[in-house]
Amino acid sequence: MAETILVIAEQREGKLNRVSLETVAGAQALAKQTGWTVEAAVVGGESLAAPAAELAKTAVAKVYAVEDASLEPYTPDGFVTALKAFIESRRPKLVLLPHTYQVRDFAPKLAATLGAALVSDAVGCRYEGGKLIFTRQMFQGKYAADISVAGDGPCFASFQSGAYRADQVAAGDAPVEKVSATTGEIRTRPEAPFKEVQQAVDLSQAGIIVSVGRGIKELKNIEIAQALADALGGELAASRPICDAGWLPMARQVGSSGQTVSPKLYLAIGISGAIQHVVGMKGSRNIIAINKDAEAPIFEIADVAVVGNLFDIVPALTEEVKKAKG
Amino acid sequence: MIFRTPLEGIEHPQMEADVVIVGGGPAGMACALRLAQLIAAHNAAHPDAQLSKENIYVLEKAREIGQHCLSGAVLDPRSMDELLPEWRTEAPIEAEVTSDSVYYLTRKSAFKAPITPPPMQDHGNYVISLNRFTKWLGEKVEAAGITLFSGFAGSELLLDGSRVLGVRTDDKGVDKTNRPKSNFEPGYDLKPKVTILAEGTRGSLTKQLCERLGLLENRDGVIRNPMTYGVGVKELWELPSGRIRPGEVLYTMGYPLTTMEYGGAWIYGGAENPGGKDNTVSLGFVTGLDYPDPRTDPQHVLQSFKQHPFVLRLLQGGKMVRYGAKTMPNGGWWAMPPLGGDGWMIVGDAAGFLNSQRLKGIHLAIKSGMLAAETAFEALTSGDSSAKQLAKFQQKVESSWIRQELYPVRNFHQGFEHGFVSGVLNTGLLMATGGYGLRNRYPAHAGHERMRPLWDIMGYPKSREQLLGPAKGDGQLTFDKLTDLYHSGTRHEEDQPAHLIIHNTDICNTRCTREYGNPCQHFCPANVYEMVEDADAPGTRRIHLNAANCVHCKTCDIMDPYQIIDWVPPEGGGGPSYDGM
Repeated sequence: MAETILVIAEQREGKLNRVSLETVAGAQALAKQTGWTVEAAVVGGESLAAPAAELAKTAVAKVYAVEDASLEPYTPDGFVTALKAFIESRRPKLVLLPHTYQVRDFAPKLAATLGAALVSDAVGCRYEGGKLIFTRQMFQGKYAADISVAGDGPCFASFQSGAYRADQVAAGDAPVEKVSATTGEIRTRPEAPFKEVQQAVDLSQAGIIVSVGRGIKELKNIEIAQALADALGGELAASRPICDAGWLPMARQVGSSGQTVSPKLYLAIGISGAIQHVVGMKGSRNIIAINKDAEAPIFEIADVAVVGNLFDIVPALTEEVKKAKG
Repeated sequence: MIFRTPLEGIEHPQMEADVVIVGGGPAGMACALRLAQLIAAHNAAHPDAQLSKENIYVLEKAREIGQHCLSGAVLDPRSMDELLPEWRTEAPIEAEVTSDSVYYLTRKSAFKAPITPPPMQDHGNYVISLNRFTKWLGEKVEAAGITLFSGFAGSELLLDGSRVLGVRTDDKGVDKTNRPKSNFEPGYDLKPKVTILAEGTRGSLTKQLCERLGLLENRDGVIRNPMTYGVGVKELWELPSGRIRPGEVLYTMGYPLTTMEYGGAWIYGGAENPGGKDNTVSLGFVTGLDYPDPRTDPQHVLQSFKQHPFVLRLLQGGKMVRYGAKTMPNGGWWAMPPLGGDGWMIVGDAAGFLNSQRLKGIHLAIKSGMLAAETAFEALTSGDSSAKQLAKFQQKVESSWIRQELYPVRNFHQGFEHGFVSGVLNTGLLMATGGYGLRNRYPAHAGHERMRPLWDIMGYPKSREQLLGPAKGDGQLTFDKLTDLYHSGTRHEEDQPAHLIIHNTDICNTRCTREYGNPCQHFCPANVYEMVEDADAPGTRRIHLNAANCVHCKTCDIMDPYQIIDWVPPEGGGGPSYDGM
């Protein structure tokens, strides 16, 4: 019987976290090399039907909905108890998770209780000479380290956001099996989640980002970029000087002291491309840069370089987008 | 703009101690180690009258020992041989110096001095990374039983009249508006018998002490020169093997500076990297912080230096891996403050223990730390840490080889006050007269006073562009300031008040713009100071601080022409990450 790769997907309040699909894509890529079977599991309370169904549309052998009322809301104790029992019963060879905040909270404890190794924040995985080799970045990306895991037990690994593409997931039709989760003592009682006073923004979930820099000149001009973001259905972001000036909240800052994002499309408007900003967005799939300085460093990493006045280009672009969308 | 100021009405936990050393650099580490040795020897000889090492603390603002240490560096082994005779077998050494040479650069050519001037001969010295070396010293200090508090800055001096009672560490968890956050922790009031200030160049507590006690005034028949400084801007490079061999030491003078500026470059060959294909090379430029043109940008000076054909061919195919900057006190013997008083001593760069002619200070820092430790030890055993007791530190320094080395070069830097040519002539005269020159004590002027207003420098020759304004950089061998800064690894807790206190920002926005064109934008090697469009008053500009960029070099505190900037330590743990520097 072939070995299994188990993907632990993440959901919140009945909505599947998109990054879980990246993990599935990674698992599928690995399955091609190893010939192993891919299964997916999602853990929670009563609201698992929708996320499980979404997972079932991918080419995996089976989707498990591991549920119990006590697992809503998320607690590390609850998840670890449930997943420990589940993994012991299924005995996968490899457990893959997306490297999210929630995974960072429970995965180390889960791996430790099973006496298993956890390779976290990996950017790739391959099968060589009968061994699983994970790649991790070190020293802020200056080095990449290959890590192989010794021992028999299941091996755990979490993938960095953007390491695999959610849109490269092979489609399929998998059966969904409900599993009654094993429960145990839960020592923490989470309070209701709260948002910042300003509207919380999660740029890491945005597929399209329109980002502004110093070239936007004044606070009131940001609405030009906002209009483009709205037309494209994307999120507004900014480089550091804009957030330092208070024109946009810190939550929208992209860069070494802000967020790292890797959307399908990143529009850099009036951004020079200083290295501190670039490290926060260079993983983006497509980069379009608009800047009037032909020698701006942003053009070195842009896929499409538009040298010109953003105040002419962006409104015109917004119009064309609206027309194209009908 | 809200600056970091002490919070009112906060209760600070009190901690008694025997000795507190503020600063974990080579001076602080040597002091701690020597103290541990003396106590161990004492305890071995007096089994029934043991002294404890448990109440001796070293405060270091960086997250790790050595993390904020930056220097060339070439180490004279003299004091290490006294401190730890077996150090050569254990300490991380890049290379033993194999050759030294001095070059004079013009715009296009390089002239090698036929012989290296004796003060700059480095035979018997060692190329080290001060960061690695200090880290190793830190391990020795901890192994010796002294407690190192890293991530804690000495924030305020606790004074009672003219007695130093101790040091208050930084308040943690203070937000941008200077109010306590949910993780607020008040600083500790450490109250030792002896406080030793080893903060390094332009120490903030040292500055507080000198101001509050009037230590720099001329009195008791002693006339003091103001301390003068240079800023060293450094890049660490991986160069193909053979370009600059391990142990090869080069100094340059001249281009890109003109006769109106003081300074020069160093290139030191460090160790081979595993694989044997390349080795680490330390490369940097010291610009004297007494230049006349307010548009001078020391980081730009370094980039222009690298574009000189002599240097460019050395760097081809190489990779810049780290960047940093730090000032150094070159004022010499006459500019040093009193070294000991009621409950306090000052060691290392904080007191100006640096031989500006040889460009070396680490060995002096170490020796000063050792002598301070001996003085502190005597204070502990005698129970007397009064001014009279601790003034013995000054006497120890004056009867040691520190004076033998520093006294003859007491006028070296002052000789350059009227330019390069007269500096060289003066140096000759000084060397012939044992340092006396024309009148034993050459006066000096604080560097910021030598800065000329914009209208005064308009007449200066145009051929000075290589010094002025921001560097553009080609991204391969030369870099703009932001790209260089990225390689300093500098990080701070973002939500905290600005630690560069500008006492009157109106001056920045009006008078300074007119008179000097806001030189802070140029002299800061970390792009902390920017003049930005004022959103509330279109058409005008105002000062903006990117405090999180700060690399703790102290250039701003030194060079601001109005002396309205006070650098104080940010929340402990923040700052640059000078691995290998």
